[in-house]
Amino acid sequence: MTSAADGRPHGPATSRGGAKPVSEVTFGDHLCLTFDNDPERYAILGAYIRDGLALHHKIIYLADEDDAGAVLRRLGDGIAGAWVPGTERLDLDAAVAEGRLAIRPIVDAFMATGRFDPDETVALLATEIEVALVQGYAGVRISGETSFSLRGWPGTDRFADFEQRCQAAFQTPGLKAMALCQYDSRWFSRAQLEELELCHGGRVRVDDLYDDGVLRITPLFTPPGLALDGAVDESTVQAVGDALERMAARASHFCLDLSGLEFCDMEGLRTLIGAGRSGGVHRQVILRGVPDYLDLMLRISGWDSMPDIYREGVRR
Amino acid sequence: MTDPETGGGAAPAAHARRGRDVLTHQALVYRTGEELTKVAVGWLRAGLMVGDATVVIASPAVADLVRGQLGAESAAPIEFHDSAAWFTGPVQTMSAYHERAREHWWPHGRLRVLAEPVWEGRGELEVREWLRHEALLNEIMAGTPSAFLCLYDAALPAGIVEGALRTHPELLDEGGLRPSPRFTDPADFYAECNAVPLDPPPLTAARRAFASGELPALRTFLEAEARRLDLAPERVLPFVLAVNEVATLIIREGGGHGAVWVWSEEGDLVCDVTDPSGHLADRFLGHLPPRAHQQVEAAMWAVRRLCHIVEIRTGKGSGGGIGFRGVDAGTRIRTRLKLR
Repeated sequence: MTSAADGRPHGPATSRGGAKPVSEVTFGDHLCLTFDNDPERYAILGAYIRDGLALHHKIIYLADEDDAGAVLRRLGDGIAGAWVPGTERLDLDAAVAEGRLAIRPIVDAFMATGRFDPDETVALLATEIEVALVQGYAGVRISGETSFSLRGWPGTDRFADFEQRCQAAFQTPGLKAMALCQYDSRWFSRAQLEELELCHGGRVRVDDLYDDGVLRITPLFTPPGLALDGAVDESTVQAVGDALERMAARASHFCLDLSGLEFCDMEGLRTLIGAGRSGGVHRQVILRGVPDYLDLMLRISGWDSMPDIYREGVRR
Repeated sequence: MTDPETGGGAAPAAHARRGRDVLTHQALVYRTGEELTKVAVGWLRAGLMVGDATVVIASPAVADLVRGQLGAESAAPIEFHDSAAWFTGPVQTMSAYHERAREHWWPHGRLRVLAEPVWEGRGELEVREWLRHEALLNEIMAGTPSAFLCLYDAALPAGIVEGALRTHPELLDEGGLRPSPRFTDPADFYAECNAVPLDPPPLTAARRAFASGELPALRTFLEAEARRLDLAPERVLPFVLAVNEVATLIIREGGGHGAVWVWSEEGDLVCDVTDPSGHLADRFLGHLPPRAHQQVEAAMWAVRRLCHIVEIRTGKGSGGGIGFRGVDAGTRIRTRLKLR
């Protein structure tokens, strides 16, 4: 569900404006996975791989390093640390052994001729897709790391050209394949990213933890936390409690972005300010973008203090 | 104000000296201006002598009388408040007492308040709720180091003077201090106030039913009605918050579904929230600080503070059923906010 369709104003636009939740990525999608931190990146990749394995898709992972074993360990650790629902029993080693997950060092895949050639690389990927489909897979999921394109290797100055051709290739009607291209925004300049993102169908983002049209709960990564958009009331407060409990299990301190919280009832307020105490552990909770009306509610709540709760700045 | 975990609005223990942390709540029903000044000023002097935090909340006329009698020097330590500005709403005034006492008055020792309640321009409902406020003061301020002397002109309407005799445990006048023979247990007085039936909403009231999952739409409706009926913009959110809280209560603790009626009447935005089957025990509900994990108390505490006046009528033994049809079941909660 998009923000525009359900009439709700956008939450923090920078974090999700127009981006597609990873679980909604479909055949024909060729999207940018732009990240600046590993938890967010692996949360997206974890869901992507999880769904791919569940749907009997072949997963092709194009990695920056030469050592496929190291890449596999990095992926496994990253996904485990990202707390993606449904990835607890994901067995990447088994998936590799069965051929369902293929890890291809980019040096071997793209630079075999010693030179990066956009046309050849697109053709190579098309072949990979075809082979997987012939093998009986229901579809193909590709994800590639892209930082190699900044190393000045021969031909990589045409990397944007390659992405453009990929975008065109993925537009092929009936193509049972999709791709997420990983861009580490700490390595690429803003101008480069803007240019490269235009060579894609759009961006992918992490899945919401909850969205019922009244309240949306989205994970945050830097710092770890949750963004709440919409209304916390009788029907959604349980979801907040559940999300906070999960949050409390994975982070000792966390941030709650309330800038998109349009309504919150007393029970919701109690749940939010109790966030620092869930599980019997006292932890620091930072409230970001606290709306003015929550101040009013705190004043009339009869509760004096907010133990372990810290406010960051003031809205408006 | 309490901590959500520990609950309970304890009196400031540091300032509660043994034997002095007992509330006194007395009425002075005066017949002449001389009696008023003589008794009230004597009472204030006694407080000033022992260093009580001394406060006068009165009309300018009475404040001038007190100042004139005491002299500028003696009156200097007294904190004066204009009664019209102080007695804004029964619940708001009680909160103001508590907040100010905690922050400014009790830290100086025992509190002594000479209060002249406002009756002019108060309709039947307001008179009832302000007398209820007097009865509640006995409960809410119990155990705090506070002394209240409330001024009642004997020439006030009989119902008000009678209310004074019934809500103040003691009477003070030229004849001295004596127990009020007509003093009524605050819980009984409170229940009497609740037994007065509510008029039904007018036929023109906008109605909307609600059940679990439908509160977003209810809030949209409430906001639109509040704006249509010209509620002051800064009161729209408190109004929506309050009614949403009541509806939540009905969904969770009551019959599970209900309806709201919204209309305006004599400068008030009025909203009835009804629960056709649930029972809501109202014994000072929302007037005493919520105890830990008492969500009904916490909700009604907030609702009372968001509104000007909140009336609760509930079936089963309270005499009025939901107020006006003689039906002895269900609950009706009427919230009022001043439009301006």
